Amino acid sequence: MGVFSESVEVVCSSAGQPLSLVWQNRTYEIEAEPLRWYQRRKWWEEELRAERGRGAGLVDHEIWRVQARVNDRSELRTLDIVHQVDTGRWRLLKIHDAVQDLSA
Amino acid sequence: MSFTHLHVSTAFSAHYGVSWPEDLAGTAAGDGADALACTDRDGLYGTVKHLKACMAAGIDPIVGVDLAVLRDGQVSGRVVVLAHGELQGAGYRALCRLISDAHANTGAHSRKPVGVTLEELASRCLDPVTLAPVLTVLIGPHSDVGQALRTRSYSTARSLFTRWLAVLPAGSVTAEVVTHLSPPGEALSTAHGVRLFKLARERNVPAVLTNAVRYCGIDGAATADVLDSARALTALGKLTDLQPNGQGWLKTPAQMESLAREIAKAADLGAPGAADLLSATGKLADRCRMDPAADMGWKQPVVPEASVIGIDQDPVTELWQRCEAGIGRRFGAISGSDERKLRERLNHEMQIIDRLGFSSYFLTVAEVSKMIIEMGIRAAARGSGASSLVNYLINVSQVNPLNHDLIFERFLSQDRSTLPDIDIDVESAERHNVYHRIFERFGAERVTLMSMQNGYRARGAVRDAGLALGMNEDDVGTIAKQLWRFSAAKFREAMAEKPELRDFSSRVEQNQQLDLLVDLTERLDRLPRHISMHPCGVILGDKNLLDRTPVQPSGLGLPMSQFDKHDMDPMGMLKLDVLGVRMQSAMAYALKEIIRIHPSRQEVAQAGRHRNVTGGVPDYIAGDGRINLEAVPFDDEPTYELIRSTHTLGCFQIESPGQRELIGKLAPREFNDLIIDISLFRPGPMKSDMVRPFLEHRHGWAPESYPHPDLKPALAETHGVTVFHEQVLRTFDVFTGCGMAKADELRRLLGRGEAEPGVEDFFRKESAARGYPPAVVDKVWNTLKAFGSFGFCKAHGAAFAVPTYQSAWLKAHHPEAFLAGIWEHDPGMYPRRLLVAEARRMGIPILPLDINRSTGEYRVERIDGGKLGIRLSLAGIYGLSHTELKRIVAGQPYDSLADLRTRARVGRASMKRLAQLGAFDSLNQHVHGPGNRADLIHHLNSSPSRPAQRRHEPIEGQLSLPLGDLELANLKPGLPEPPMEEKVRTELDLLALDVSAHLMDSYRPILEELGVTESAKLLDLRNGTEVIVAGIRVATQTPPMRGGRRVVFISIDDGTGCVDCTFFHEAQEQAGPLLFCTRLLLIKGLTRRTGPRGMSLQATNAWDLSNTETLPLARNRKPLALGR
Repeated sequence: MGVFSESVEVVCSSAGQPLSLVWQNRTYEIEAEPLRWYQRRKWWEEELRAERGRGAGLVDHEIWRVQARVNDRSELRTLDIVHQVDTGRWRLLKIHDAVQDLSA
Repeated sequence: MSFTHLHVSTAFSAHYGVSWPEDLAGTAAGDGADALACTDRDGLYGTVKHLKACMAAGIDPIVGVDLAVLRDGQVSGRVVVLAHGELQGAGYRALCRLISDAHANTGAHSRKPVGVTLEELASRCLDPVTLAPVLTVLIGPHSDVGQALRTRSYSTARSLFTRWLAVLPAGSVTAEVVTHLSPPGEALSTAHGVRLFKLARERNVPAVLTNAVRYCGIDGAATADVLDSARALTALGKLTDLQPNGQGWLKTPAQMESLAREIAKAADLGAPGAADLLSATGKLADRCRMDPAADMGWKQPVVPEASVIGIDQDPVTELWQRCEAGIGRRFGAISGSDERKLRERLNHEMQIIDRLGFSSYFLTVAEVSKMIIEMGIRAAARGSGASSLVNYLINVSQVNPLNHDLIFERFLSQDRSTLPDIDIDVESAERHNVYHRIFERFGAERVTLMSMQNGYRARGAVRDAGLALGMNEDDVGTIAKQLWRFSAAKFREAMAEKPELRDFSSRVEQNQQLDLLVDLTERLDRLPRHISMHPCGVILGDKNLLDRTPVQPSGLGLPMSQFDKHDMDPMGMLKLDVLGVRMQSAMAYALKEIIRIHPSRQEVAQAGRHRNVTGGVPDYIAGDGRINLEAVPFDDEPTYELIRSTHTLGCFQIESPGQRELIGKLAPREFNDLIIDISLFRPGPMKSDMVRPFLEHRHGWAPESYPHPDLKPALAETHGVTVFHEQVLRTFDVFTGCGMAKADELRRLLGRGEAEPGVEDFFRKESAARGYPPAVVDKVWNTLKAFGSFGFCKAHGAAFAVPTYQSAWLKAHHPEAFLAGIWEHDPGMYPRRLLVAEARRMGIPILPLDINRSTGEYRVERIDGGKLGIRLSLAGIYGLSHTELKRIVAGQPYDSLADLRTRARVGRASMKRLAQLGAFDSLNQHVHGPGNRADLIHHLNSSPSRPAQRRHEPIEGQLSLPLGDLELANLKPGLPEPPMEEKVRTELDLLALDVSAHLMDSYRPILEELGVTESAKLLDLRNGTEVIVAGIRVATQTPPMRGGRRVVFISIDDGTGCVDCTFFHEAQEQAGPLLFCTRLLLIKGLTRRTGPRGMSLQATNAWDLSNTETLPLARNRKPLALGR
């Protein structure tokens, strides 16, 4: 399983769209329309089981590319966050402006 | 809110779709849909199941196909084609024809991929009569246009799309927009969908939204990955065209709407764009709603036109006339109450047949039956068709239903409007000829073979799961071999329980990859892998048959329907089962051998000890000596004697270990006993313990008892035990007066959870009303409940009993010809070598291979003193090619090895094999050669084989000089004759037979040391004696058992006969991996008497006989270890 270095907390709209996230104890408000896609996983390498009825999150992960800032004055950062549908957890995958890939 | 999915693959899209039609339809309906499409890849494989599922779910079916499009002979992309509904079937007809076009000229010998050209597609889009559009083609992400858009090749995409619009008739093209929300830039991303949406709007072409569905729920995505891997025969890690992610499921209307909004937004079209997409989808769905009956002929039986079978009058009149003729032929001068009974029955059957309009069906079957018999091929009806007097009179069946109390309603009744099954068994060797003849007789437009779905079973599933994970092939192969007849879904359960999987299951605990392997195996379980020709089904229809089913080439070259047996009834298709039965071939062969060896009526009668009541030659032997097996009366005492002896190896249906035990106990005296025997030996009766009480009553050990005297007529033949469906029907009828037709309906509901209570209410109410006391009603109901759903149809048993009797008759009277036929056609469950051992046991000489006497067949041969033996066939020699064999037989006899080389051009390797098998021994004796077999082999090994040069060949008409064999005459002697053990081993290697002696003979010394008991001596022992037996495994069976615990039956042959050993749970634990793999077995156990002539063994332990160190020999016992 890819190692996501940091867990984040995300508040979503009723439609499941992220509105804000908490990263390193700071709350980021998500601006603009986030982009969402589903990224395939090499589950046969990363998982120990793939039993029937396993459900969502085995074959792909839900990924959101969001633009967020702490407040009006701070800079807008582009972040990729992954929603692990099976566990409901969110993790930070990539910080674009920092060109720092955390998923290595 | 409703959304109709227009692009859905079911599991019947082999190696592609994941979910069953009923799950898809159920889910769609649950989500509020009122229609659902089924668009399987390359065909209508799941369509009929889809119709059924939609009707059950209360939604409209939509029918289409996902088809490859060909350009310059290559696949350029895939499109979905949907049939329009409400056109009296015009849409469906066009779809069927289109799919058949796609498969035309494909198959094993062709490189043409399955698919259609754009032009072919265009030619099917309009109704040929009205020129109205009848099909809609969806140009989606997998089409050539969609693929170009995926790489942003806009101008290519535009010109491709222009071509589609130019070639296809106006109004036939629709764009299919899909997003699986894959990462930007990848296939099936939202942007990918948007581009197609925009292109369609640019050209004013309607665009619909689909989800290109491959699985019902999100969980199916991983299964789809594994199927992709199996389809490409490539490990998942190496696969380049995996689905981009796992979003191809049957999404809910809300989810689809949100996808529509997402696409419209990305296309800058806003809410109106989304609304357009959704309304176009709804509109197309409405246009494609199918009326199963009006559009597809649901449940409307269609049979060949009467004119095709040469009938110009009303089929009912014709059938009556043929039945009348049949009465004369079958019954001769019948009168009095017999005639009255016969007439009543005939009237009854004809009334029902007429009312259902099935007269032409019966005439069609009679026509096929007659056609087969005129081809000189043995044929026998099987199945419930034997319940019909009409079938007996028109020569379709050989059993008189009046003699055996068979009930017509079990076959056909006015309450059941489905076409009944009539099955015809023919000689297996002639089956394909029969098929070809049916095509000729009825015309290719009226006939097609039925197909069958081949699903994943445990072994195949493990292999493909292992492939997907990139596991070592040998490892996976080893695991696959260990699996023994259980479904992949039970894999984990089996690992915990089965002793032979013990090693594997401990490995799973260590190796994580094996865990995944088990999971994926379970996922693949039962999924269809491919279709193939059904072993016996032939579909007959009228001239429009190919408007109702798509066809594709079968392995045989003849066209095969994409529908399987479950689809026949719903689609109103008349299916004939023409089953190839090897036993029929074996019997036909035996009959030919009899007349060849005994070429006159008198000789046949004498050899077979056939006499009629007055001591003369019986009528069933024709003037030329031909035996008409069908005319042999069912009362031959020597035949029943043979059956009771339990030496029934080779006999149809009664040769298995379990059956030999049962006939030993039952001791059949007449034909009806055989019917009962065959019916009892079924999973139902065995499971529900009918056998024991039946035998107790039959032998008078326990008094017969009847729940009520009124039931005595129905149950007397089985001594009060309910065995047959027919008895269940009579019981219902007696107690409720419901009539036979209703009784059969009730019987069918027994054992069905939701329907059974209704049957019980009816039974209790009606029987109480007829005055039966509550206690009796209770008792009878319990019997019905317990036995009714398990019992066996007596008509089936009766049909089976005919070849059983015939084969036993042949074995009793002409054993040499019978065994020759068995060796030739190998019909049974046993390896041929066991039937050779049977000849040895019966004292029939097994004549070795001889270059001048052996042919390509096992032949009966008269040897010195007039005795008959069986000559081995050259056909069994490993590595001897068919053409070599043909040349050898054509050139016989040979006077020398040189002669053989020259004229038959036998290669060196085959020369050596022939020598090793002793085929030259008699030639050598003839020239008084000084060497022996070993010398000859040595000679052939060392000298290069040079066929004589052409100039030495005799010219036509010139006789070669009778020089004798100089090669053999000059053989250098010196080597010892090969010992018997070596000869036998060679025979086993090259023929898979032990001819010169029994394989076990070489083990005699060690068997004596072990104190092994011979099979033939077991019968003399007391019940419960502990013995050790040894032999070669000849059969392994795991029949269903009462109580559900697995019992393994292993039969071994030691040269004096078979020993049938039963392994219960404990013994299975002891034997472990030996249970299914080891060939030579040493088995310890207790004798168990099974009948006056039967003794079997209850095993306690087993060893591998070939592994001497592990055997329980005194010398293998290690001294006790002292201390640790």
